[in-house]
Amino acid sequence: MTAQASTGTRRRLAHVAAVGVVAAGALLAACSSSATPAATTAPPGGTLSSANAAYIAADLKAPAGAPIAAGSTFVQPFFTKAFYTYTSLNSGLQVNYSGVGSGTGLTDFESGSVDFAASDVPMAASDLAKVPASKGPVIQIPDILGGVSISYNLPGVTKRIKLDAATLAGIFDGTIKTWNASQITALNPGVTLPSNAIVPEVRADSSGTTYIFTNYLAVAAPSVWTLGTNKTIAWPSVAVQTPKNSGVASSIKSTPYSIGYVELAYALQNNFTFAAIKNAAGVYVVPSQASVAADADQRLNVTPTDFSIVNEPGAASYPIAGYSWAILLQKQTSATTGAQVVKVLDWTTHTGGGQDQAAGLGYVALPPGLQNSNRTTLLTVTGPSGQPLLSK
Amino acid sequence: MATTLSFDASSDPILQRRREIQGVATASLKRRKVYSKIAVAVCWAFLGIAIIPLVAVVAYVVIKGLPAWNPDFFTHVTTPEGIAGGGVWNAIVGTAEIGIIATGVAVPLGLSCGLFLAESEGKVAGAVRFTADVMTGVPSITIGIFGYIAIVKNFGYSGLAGAFAIGIVMLPVIVRAGETAFRGVPPTLSEAALALGARKSVIARRVVVPAALPGVITGVLLAVARGLGETAPLLLTVFGNQYMQWNPTKPMNALTLVIFENSSQPYADLIQVAWGAALLLMVVVLVLSIGSRVTAAVLRREKR
Amino acid sequence: MRRGRRFGLSNRAYWGLLVGMAAVFVALVVWYLVSIVVQARPAFSTLGFSWIFSKVWDPTHGRFGLLPFILGTFETTAIALVLAVPIGLGTAIALAHLVPDRLRPPLSTAVELLAAVPSVVYGLWGLIVLAPVFRSTVEPFLSSVLGWTGLFNGPSDGVGLLLAGVILFVMVLPTMVAISRDVLAVVPVEQVEGALALGATKWQVLRKVVVPGARTGILGGFTLAMGRALGETVAVALVIGNSPFIAHSVKAPAATLASLIVNNFGEATGTELAALFGAALVLLVIGISVNALARVLVKSTVRGGAASVAVA
Repeated sequence: MTAQASTGTRRRLAHVAAVGVVAAGALLAACSSSATPAATTAPPGGTLSSANAAYIAADLKAPAGAPIAAGSTFVQPFFTKAFYTYTSLNSGLQVNYSGVGSGTGLTDFESGSVDFAASDVPMAASDLAKVPASKGPVIQIPDILGGVSISYNLPGVTKRIKLDAATLAGIFDGTIKTWNASQITALNPGVTLPSNAIVPEVRADSSGTTYIFTNYLAVAAPSVWTLGTNKTIAWPSVAVQTPKNSGVASSIKSTPYSIGYVELAYALQNNFTFAAIKNAAGVYVVPSQASVAADADQRLNVTPTDFSIVNEPGAASYPIAGYSWAILLQKQTSATTGAQVVKVLDWTTHTGGGQDQAAGLGYVALPPGLQNSNRTTLLTVTGPSGQPLLSK
Repeated sequence: MATTLSFDASSDPILQRRREIQGVATASLKRRKVYSKIAVAVCWAFLGIAIIPLVAVVAYVVIKGLPAWNPDFFTHVTTPEGIAGGGVWNAIVGTAEIGIIATGVAVPLGLSCGLFLAESEGKVAGAVRFTADVMTGVPSITIGIFGYIAIVKNFGYSGLAGAFAIGIVMLPVIVRAGETAFRGVPPTLSEAALALGARKSVIARRVVVPAALPGVITGVLLAVARGLGETAPLLLTVFGNQYMQWNPTKPMNALTLVIFENSSQPYADLIQVAWGAALLLMVVVLVLSIGSRVTAAVLRREKR
Repeated sequence: MRRGRRFGLSNRAYWGLLVGMAAVFVALVVWYLVSIVVQARPAFSTLGFSWIFSKVWDPTHGRFGLLPFILGTFETTAIALVLAVPIGLGTAIALAHLVPDRLRPPLSTAVELLAAVPSVVYGLWGLIVLAPVFRSTVEPFLSSVLGWTGLFNGPSDGVGLLLAGVILFVMVLPTMVAISRDVLAVVPVEQVEGALALGATKWQVLRKVVVPGARTGILGGFTLAMGRALGETVAVALVIGNSPFIAHSVKAPAATLASLIVNNFGEATGTELAALFGAALVLLVIGISVNALARVLVKSTVRGGAASVAVA
């Protein structure tokens, strides 16, 4: 069809189409009689391109093979399920994904041991420098959305407690030591908090969840939080460190008066008690797939160098959320493997494909507008002779 | 002239001395018997203490793992969360292939080293023995990293890379345990064979190894149990595989990988699979343990 | 007499084969060592050498230090061995000489079964089952009984050095028992009977004849047990509390070099990754030192004869 058009033109066309769709949506929303006061802007999250179904169908016609991918442990359940579903629809293509850790995944990607990688934090300039220049530019796209809950174990307190960034910063750097400290009671009037010492539960191992949580503290309480934003933090000695989300979850469950940050899927699957967190609009929001999506919808223009979506505006936003990223080469060296990788990733990152598996597992699907820009980016992936590999 | 021997049993110094000694000996015997009883009781108590964690851990694994055992568990490959009817068949195949390859290389290599160490006394042997001792203390993840650097970076993820890493985990144990077993063979046996004119290799094959067999089997079993139960070396070398893979030059799955990955998931059915795999691993080692002892006993009876 | 090669390899070929195998083993170890050193070099060229003894591990601000982890490694291994040596030896003696013949195979297999449990399962069992028990019962009890030693200060969290040491003890026990039992069982029966004939009690026979006769084997078992304790990663990481601070109490959470590596390796890049390789190198040096020390100690207590040569 449009195969003859250059990639530049097609990209511009796709951009125009996306903007057009968003504009049309905005027009419709403005004209709708039940519009809320904020509806003069586009519907949050954007609208999925109408060409999506065609692309999804074409994605299932990828050539047979067995590409491998490695990286983030956070996305492993999602990727495993998505790729399994993909293979049930296109039995020749089996993607083998292993959650060896984002760091090892990046090392594999740099050395060419895997066909694409997944990382909770996009490759920084220092990592990108390790990819040989001959391999060409590196593409990074968000592949799934996740939230971080603040789960706690407070015997005798039945009402859900409310916390904000400054209080959380104080709890996790050890300055707020007891549950009935003034900062906490001030946020929870009417709730009798015990005088027991708080036991902060944190990750012992390096983790993207830690990154998102500390990013939130740094953005929302910059004057209070001094421990930095990173996958590994020098927590105070009062914090109990356990490896993995499941370890922290287990520890919270068995330690009275503890509080920790746990990835949303764990909290939902195990019926944890989690706190309502004050968002940028001043509303105390309970973490859920909907509130995480509301936060992400507020900011669609994430890039690998500017990817934080914590503490976004909006009354319904849950402020502690973040993306995980898929990483691949823009210039694929094999047309077959390249087609497999780009089609599988396109299928996985769009509604009607892999994103449909997200909710059942406790993840949150990418906002439609972001899905559109993902596709735009994937459309730039070419084979060894420069031909684009993704099409409808 | 006849001399009368006046013998007064109550005052004779020799008899007195004898009574003294007997008194001390009886007291000593009583005391030594008491010590012995206490020490023996302590040994029994320690045996009891050793059995407690065994019962606790095994019971826990059985309780959590048995519900996972059904026909699908053993015949279907791993499935993601939400897809029913998953199993660990691909992991069983992976663990078996990796275990067989690793054992097949590590046992002859390790026992040869053990034999070398048992039969030599010099500084070189001392250095080799020291090397083996130190290598048993190396964290298994660093061996996995070594496998990654040495094999995966050059040849990609594969079951063979995993066997390489597991083999290195097993090797020092086999070397040291083998040497201990070979040294335990009474030198009189080999000397007799030597006197009959046998060559050293024949002595090793026909005398030393059979005589040391129980100890060798213990050592090999400990090594195999350790090797099969390792996770970190495999994560960085075999990669894992959600699909069936018989070819050891490709990424494979393994039981310990399933346990490690699934046990840290929030989904109850995947956790269930992890415990089922843990139970399976334990049963496999138990079967190997009993089987090898039975085989050794049968072999020894045959030789008579 | 079976058919086949009656005369076997010539002595020289046989010895050459054995030496060859030993050389392959050593070559593998050297290759391992070189790989670790090469990967760790960036850490040393960027940070120098003194960072090893620094107390702060803070990759966010580019600060690395291994002292708390070095101490944690020693402490957990010490606890594990303090428990494993007497209990392991006692169990081995019981199995080799006290237990009726019919019970020996099943009980021996039972203890060896402990070796069959994957280390991650030990970690999970420790975290889910033992930690609450430690927190509610064992640690308060020990604090009240042994608090005067000053080693049991602080809150009882359950996870910490003590739990990690106990889990390691359970993990190294089968090694200690199995190897000791085998060498204890093969002590020449004439020596045992001779001692009994001289009027020795059971315990005296064990203490003066059997155990010394098995001394080198027991040392071999001890060395393997110590090795396992030094290098255990996953199980320790789950139950030690992973606190990168120097512990001031046996109950306190801590961390070991091995747990540090396993917790951070998958996600680390750059200098942090090189620092983790540095940690592996330090652990190797510790292993070498501790083994050398054990050797020296044993040599100084052994009074000549075949035993001292075997220890060399």
